[in-house]
Amino acid sequence: MIIRLIIGALMIGSVYGVVGIGYGLIYKASGLMSLAQGDMLMFGAFLGITFYKYLKLPFIVSLLLTMVLMFFLGMFIERVMVTKLIERGAQTVYVILCTISISMILQNSSMLTWGSNVLQFPAIFKKSSVKIFGVGVAPENLLVLGVGIIIMVALQLFLTKTKFGISMRAAAQDELAASSLGINVPHTKGTAWGIASMLAGGIGVCVGPVFGVYMSMGSMIGQKAFAGAVVGGYGNMYGAIIGGVLFGFLETFVSAYLTSNYKDFITFGILIVAMIFMPKGIFNEEVME
Amino acid sequence: MGQNKKSAGQFIREKKFVILFWLALALFVSYLLKSNYPSLILCFICINTIAVTGLDLLFGYTGQVSFGHAGFYAIGAYASTILSMKLGIPVALSMILAALISMFFGFIIAIPASKLVKHFLSLLTIAFGNMVYIFLSVTKSLTNGFSGIINIPDLVLFGYRFKTNQSYFFLFAALAVITLIAKNRLIKSRFGRALIAVRENPHAAAGMGINVSYYKVMAFAISAFFTGLAGSLYAHLMGFISPDGFNNTQSNAFMTMLLFGGIASTFGPMIGSTILTVVTEVMQGFVQYQMLLYALFILLVLYMMPNGVSGLMNKISARIAKKKGKKVKPHA
Repeated sequence: MIIRLIIGALMIGSVYGVVGIGYGLIYKASGLMSLAQGDMLMFGAFLGITFYKYLKLPFIVSLLLTMVLMFFLGMFIERVMVTKLIERGAQTVYVILCTISISMILQNSSMLTWGSNVLQFPAIFKKSSVKIFGVGVAPENLLVLGVGIIIMVALQLFLTKTKFGISMRAAAQDELAASSLGINVPHTKGTAWGIASMLAGGIGVCVGPVFGVYMSMGSMIGQKAFAGAVVGGYGNMYGAIIGGVLFGFLETFVSAYLTSNYKDFITFGILIVAMIFMPKGIFNEEVME
Repeated sequence: MGQNKKSAGQFIREKKFVILFWLALALFVSYLLKSNYPSLILCFICINTIAVTGLDLLFGYTGQVSFGHAGFYAIGAYASTILSMKLGIPVALSMILAALISMFFGFIIAIPASKLVKHFLSLLTIAFGNMVYIFLSVTKSLTNGFSGIINIPDLVLFGYRFKTNQSYFFLFAALAVITLIAKNRLIKSRFGRALIAVRENPHAAAGMGINVSYYKVMAFAISAFFTGLAGSLYAHLMGFISPDGFNNTQSNAFMTMLLFGGIASTFGPMIGSTILTVVTEVMQGFVQYQMLLYALFILLVLYMMPNGVSGLMNKISARIAKKKGKKVKPHA
């Protein structure tokens, strides 16, 4: 029981973590807040199910294809929509309105394309359960966890070891200095949004087999991922992961041992109490006013 | 003050376009009131105006973001419904009590909220909105869960029973006007100036002797009062409520209306809620494409008027004033 719960918590926690990293990346790179991350996850899941179930592509190909498409979607949103809006003299708070509209468009176009029912993702593995410490666990759950970890490690390597990743971090730290060193700052911003939506879309494909794919699947996950990212320290990658996993554990154990109806109520309640006593998050992030 | 006083004739001559505009609007509204459905939309416009004005006081003037205002809206609606149905309190009284209960919750949530900024505040308000929504959907004994509460009693005021949408409209319009006037008075007062000072620079405001957290808490409470009042009006107008209308989509809708109309302006919330309520109702005809068209409409307007409708109006009026050779009042 306890092992199954821990694996479940790690699974959902890594989903929150990966989506939360996206929020942090967007914030670090452009100082903006996107409310569309959850729906990016939903859209990615729909793309994935299309490739896998209807076009009969192998799972790994569908996953990669979805991630590439989502990358360009995120890039498009930043390069074409958000930048143009700011260029026209909008205050940054209007970007939130823009992302709200984008998430509405994503939801409605998914509904028009794929219908409003829950789509069942066909099983990816032949075995229906694998034994871990003598407990049967659905391999799809482990897949989410595995992909989550791979994504986090790959992103970490990308940001610290590649030239483009380093220039992205430089641009996030000081735009002016970075651009005077020849870094294409607008390009790094677009890439950050692209990566954020790629992460959400990729983890969405993996979550599909666990929860099913439906129109409103993203909104709750998006909000909880945001919660994890904020608690861990907004803009801090490790913080987002730890915050997300903590949130996953909290949610899983509250619903297992206390009450499943009020699970989200209690989780958010604990969150509020935590914020009263730790207004700076786990990593003591300095929040400027 | 003495020199500034103008005679009535002078006032009419100077403001003739404004007066004509309001008269034409009144004529148009009275035409719409002939049938039932347009009157319902007019009622919605008034309710949304009140709710969004509440949000504007918090976000536009005090600079505290809230993505959970549907929570206060829901508290207003459910509190008034439960008080009037289960405890038999007269509806008019239960509405006021509901707004006060909502204000109380605003006060409670503001105590941690006044310490938080930016994402932490967004998260706190999102968490609050979700908590209210989840509570309403799972506490079946009190709220009847997702099935909702039906047969909410009509408002009775001084022996007059509000039954039709038309009769409700006159009350709601009056309340909306009172709300706008109250907000305007509040903003022009010492209190409102303190709020704006807090928004512009909390440290400088504190240095000037303004009790920053007091004003933040008060802004939250007043904002919750107006939004809760709007919620109670909604419940008694519709006669039916269920948690579906109070999720985070509704919070985002309030935020959209506010941003669309323009923040920190007298008529911004009114313009935003009027246009977007009408657009929502028009889009109902396109059933499946409703949300898509709504979002495209918002994006389109956003690109044409990057700072909301009232931002555009400020620009136009400044240009007219410039043409006339008047001194342009700097944009607040």
